[in-house]
Order: sequence, then C-alpha cells, then structure tokens
Amino acid sequence: MLRTVLSDLARLRLSGGACSVTQVREKGHLSRPRLRNPYWFIRQQRLQTDDQVTGENRSFIKEVIHDTYGTPALIKGVQTYEQKQLIKTDEAPISTEPWTPNVRRCGLIARKIGQYPLWLKNGERIRTTLLQVVDNHVIKYIPPEEYKPTHQPNVKNLNRYGCVLVGAESTNPALLTKEYCGIFRDSGVMPTKNLARFIVSPQAALRPGTPLNVGHFRVGEFVDVRGKTVYHGFQGVVKRHGFKGMPASHGVTKTHRRPGNIGGGGEKGRVWPGTKLPGHMGNRWRISKGLRIWRINTKYNVMWVQGSAVPGSTNGLVYIYDTILPLRKPQEAPPLPTLYEQPEDEAPDDIWYEQVHNFKDETISFKPE
Amino acid sequence: MNINVRILTKSVAQQYAFKRIVTFSTKPTQQAAAAAVPQQQEVTGSTVRRPIVPAHYRFVYPEFLPDPKVEWRNTIREKLERLDMLDRRRQIELPEFYVGSILAVTSSDPHAAGKTSRFVGICIHRERCGLRARFILRNVIDHQGIEVVYELYDPTIQKVEVLRLEKRLDDSLFYLRDALPEYSTFDENMEVESLEEGAPVPVNDIKVVLRPRPWLERWERQNLLGVANIEQYIKDKHRKSSEKAQKPWEKYDLMKQYRATIPEEEQKEIFAEVHTELHTLELQRKRNKRKRTFVKPKHLA
Repeated sequence: MLRTVLSDLARLRLSGGACSVTQVREKGHLSRPRLRNPYWFIRQQRLQTDDQVTGENRSFIKEVIHDTYGTPALIKGVQTYEQKQLIKTDEAPISTEPWTPNVRRCGLIARKIGQYPLWLKNGERIRTTLLQVVDNHVIKYIPPEEYKPTHQPNVKNLNRYGCVLVGAESTNPALLTKEYCGIFRDSGVMPTKNLARFIVSPQAALRPGTPLNVGHFRVGEFVDVRGKTVYHGFQGVVKRHGFKGMPASHGVTKTHRRPGNIGGGGEKGRVWPGTKLPGHMGNRWRISKGLRIWRINTKYNVMWVQGSAVPGSTNGLVYIYDTILPLRKPQEAPPLPTLYEQPEDEAPDDIWYEQVHNFKDETISFKPE
Repeated sequence: MNINVRILTKSVAQQYAFKRIVTFSTKPTQQAAAAAVPQQQEVTGSTVRRPIVPAHYRFVYPEFLPDPKVEWRNTIREKLERLDMLDRRRQIELPEFYVGSILAVTSSDPHAAGKTSRFVGICIHRERCGLRARFILRNVIDHQGIEVVYELYDPTIQKVEVLRLEKRLDDSLFYLRDALPEYSTFDENMEVESLEEGAPVPVNDIKVVLRPRPWLERWERQNLLGVANIEQYIKDKHRKSSEKAQKPWEKYDLMKQYRATIPEEEQKEIFAEVHTELHTLELQRKRNKRKRTFVKPKHLA
C-alpha cells in the first residue's frame, strides 16, 4: 500500500518537473523479513486481581481443576499433577518408518540442579552436571507441511522437518491467561509453565499427551545442552574478557582495569568490529555441545552429563538435544520416537555407563603387572 | 566410632559445642553452637517418636550438610548426593576425624610399586561438602614438607586409619607450613593410639613455634590460638595493620552467620534421613572390630 503510494508520488514528480529528479528512497523488495512469532508466544501470566470469591467457591474451583486434570502428586521428584489421559504406550504411532542417522528426534526440557564429581573405573575423577527432566509432556505435533517457522530458511528441502511443542512443569490453570490455556486444549494435558519447540523429522513425531522421560536418552550417548548463561550485568574488560589490567602501583594512575589501546592508526584508524570492550556479560543463549551422559537415574529423572560448564544457573531451565556433532552421533538406533516407560518395569533406578565407577562397587585397585 | 555410647550426657554435649556448626563457618558461630546444644537435650527428654539424631553428628559427619549458599541448593541433588555417599560408606570405613588428627591413608596408585601407597600425616584442613569433601594431610619426609590432598569419597582410597584422634585449637592448621618442621613431623610407622570408648575427643593445646618471616600468610591477622611466638616477629606496623584488618563486629552479624550455616531444623531433617544408615554402619564396624581383637591373642602366643 505504502509502496504503491510512494511510487505514484515518484511518477508524479517525474512527469511534473522537466529536469529536477527528486530521489525517493524506498525499501523496495529488500525489506527485512517480518517476524511472525509462533502462535504459542502469548502472554502467560494472568493479572492477579483480588477476586471477591468466597473460600467455598475457591475450593470448588480447585476441585474442578483436580477433576478435569488430576490430583496433585509428587512424580519423579517433581511436584505436579497425576494426569490420567496421558499416552504411555506406543499404540498407533504417527510414523512407523525406521531410524536412520539423519533423523532428528525431539529434545527435553530440564533443570540444571547442580554438579558433583563421579569417578571412572580407572580412578580418574570427572566433573558432572546433573540435569533433571521436569515433568515433560508433548503438547502438539505440527507436521512439516503445516509448520511455518519464524525465519523461513531458503533451502531446497523446506518442508523436511515438523515441530513438536513440549511443555514442562504442570501448573494451576487459574493462574494463566485464557489464551495461553487454549494452547493446551486439544492436547488433553494440563497447562505448563514452560514451553519449547523442537524441530523433528516426521519419523520422530510424537502424539500430544505423551510424557517424556530421561529414558529418551541413553547412557553413553552425547547431547547438546542449550541454556541462558548467568547474567553478570555490565562488566569491564577484566571480568568479561579476562584481560590482565594494569599494575596497581609503580606510578600507574587511573588505569588499573581499563582495556588500554583498542586500535591502530593510519589506514586502520578506527575501532574494528569485534574489539573486546566492556559491555553486558552473560544472559545469552549458549549451547554446550557433545556432552556425554555418564549416568541416568530413572527414579528422579536425572541425568549426569559431562562437565561443570553447562550454561545457566543452578535450578535454571536448559534444553537437551541429541548432539549435532557428526562424530558423536549415535551409531545405533535410539528410542524412536521416545521410550515409553511401563509402570511394571523392574529396571534399576540407576543406570551407569560402563566406564563409570558405581559407588556400590568395591574400592578401585590396580593390578600389578 | 563409639558414637552411640557418648550420646548426650551434658558434659559431652558441651564438649561438642566447639568452634563450628559446619566446616566452612567462621569463628563467631561458637556461641550459636553452645546455645543450640541445650535445646537438643530438652527434645531428648520429651517423648518424640522420630529417630533422635545425636547432636554431635554435624561435627562427625560435616560433609553431609550441603553448601549453605542458597543459589546452589537443590533438594533432589542433595538427596542423590547423600545416597551416593552412603553407598560409598558401605564399602569403606570413613572414621571420625578432625583438623589436628593424625591419619594414615592407603590409596590405590597406578604409579606406585605394589600399586598402593600409604601416607601418614596430620590433617591440617577439611573443606567442601558432599562427594567433594576433602582434607589435606601434612608430614615432613626427608626434611621436605609434603602435603597430600585426599578426597574423602574417592573410590581409589582403600583405607583411612585414625592414628591419633584429637583436635587442635584452630580451625585449620595452615600455619604449620611456616612452623618449625618438628611440629609437622610424624613417624610413618606410628601405632594407633586408641581412645577410651565414650571419652570426649581430647583437644591438643600445643603451641607451635613459627619460623621468622617471610611467611606464606599474615598469621598475625588471624587470631590464631595455636601459635606461640607470633609477637616475636611482628613489628609495630604489622600490629597496626592487623588491628585495622580486624572485624570485631562480625560476631554480631546474625545474617552473615545465617548465610554461612545450614539452619538447625534443616540439619535435623538431613541427619534424620541418613541417621539410621550411619548408625547401623557404626554398629557393624564396632562388631567387626571386636572380632578382630578376639583374634589378636593368637599372634602374641
């Protein structure tokens, strides 16, 4: 609309003035792609007003919520609700195609709950981070034909991947907006505090209402963990980039923690892009890739992952994916689309990777040659 | 060791009301610990059905208390960590010891002849909690001060023996690094000095003689009780600066104390969870020990 008006104006000027050409700048076809946020980007929290509701009615509302969704329960160490209409078997899967190395599976939403050391059987100490999968449910599956990502990639196989919407940590729907609760309406799952979308191959499609557990990943495999790093605020160059600073004494004045020189002169007489300077530190999305899973606890849905530098603070949310590193991708088929846990399963709580020392085992001793 | 015997007689309880609530707390908490103990006694007097955790557990098993930093706490993680610690404790006896006790640690070492190594030394420091708990042993071997850091729950540790169970006047004995070598020299073939069952852990009030400056730390600022000759080496300027560095108000800082410690209610909760397990392990060890002492006469004859 605007563009046509502008071009009309330009034409008028051209035709009117004989020689004076006014330049009209317009974006033309090079305009930025409009950001179309996915439909689940809605305001989540309702404005909490002091409703004049009697205590009786309040308890009635609670009863209704428990009737429709389930009663509060502590499941796998997470305070949640006992929901009945969950899909716990792989009857009627969406796709029966077999696994291939190119299949992208769904990920999980987890909380980083801390870190502590484990020991390998050769006596080596490894540092591990504990990630707890918190009450994950599939909310929706959008097949490749219908899925329109925010940034549409300009590639050949545009519609190769679908999208799985996963929610974590069920919560009281009375605290949420009506629109936000509408996202969950068709899934039959209780509204959740956290949502995440995972790009998946059609082979890895999941039915709404499927609970996801830590058994989705296996011990010994590698994962990528995405989280938002700890925010440090506006920081100087010493803390942000590890600069050395300058001496405290010996005649040094007013420049103890400053960056010093930031560029040359002459032809390079400007500050080059990317120069390390003070600025906001942390609060960025970061992915640490290729972390091995050393141990899994199915009772509390916890996985022990290599390293103590997983992005994010303790008790913060992280997202776990199959690794994209080509040499660390699984050789054998992982559970596809996910592992359905049976209540009768007599599997042990703790699953240890073969190289890791189980604390129930005897002391490590080395045999003399 | 012998813990159930010395539960909660008043004198014993006072014995345990010493410096710290948790390993990493600061000195001002002394009063708090003293205040906390009589309350515990009242509870034991009344008829409470829950398992009563001995008040001294927090000193015997300090690593079972998590790091009090609120941002790092998570109940599930702490629980899993405690389960792992108990699993390890079922495999190996990790006895009661304090800073100042003399220990012998036997550990698997792939580089040692015979694949094991034994180190005797005085425990100069204990720190960290959970599976990360560790301590430092110090000894002087061939006129060379040696320190070894051991992780308490490291599965390569085969045996931890307490050769002499005692405490010192200070929370950590890093000043032994600047003391004359005889104060940290211990015989490698030391015999176990057994304590009478139920006796309180003795406090060794030995005063260490420091070497002249330069020192590794400014000991004059740390209000050390176990050093004899600190006055000998400090000048007026040191005295002045050490006075300036003092923080006498910190012992009144309740919030600081609160943040540096796990509240008593939580401590009770944590130890109630692990108490039965630890107690059975203690009893088992004691029974095994008696069996071993019964075998001993054969060797003499």
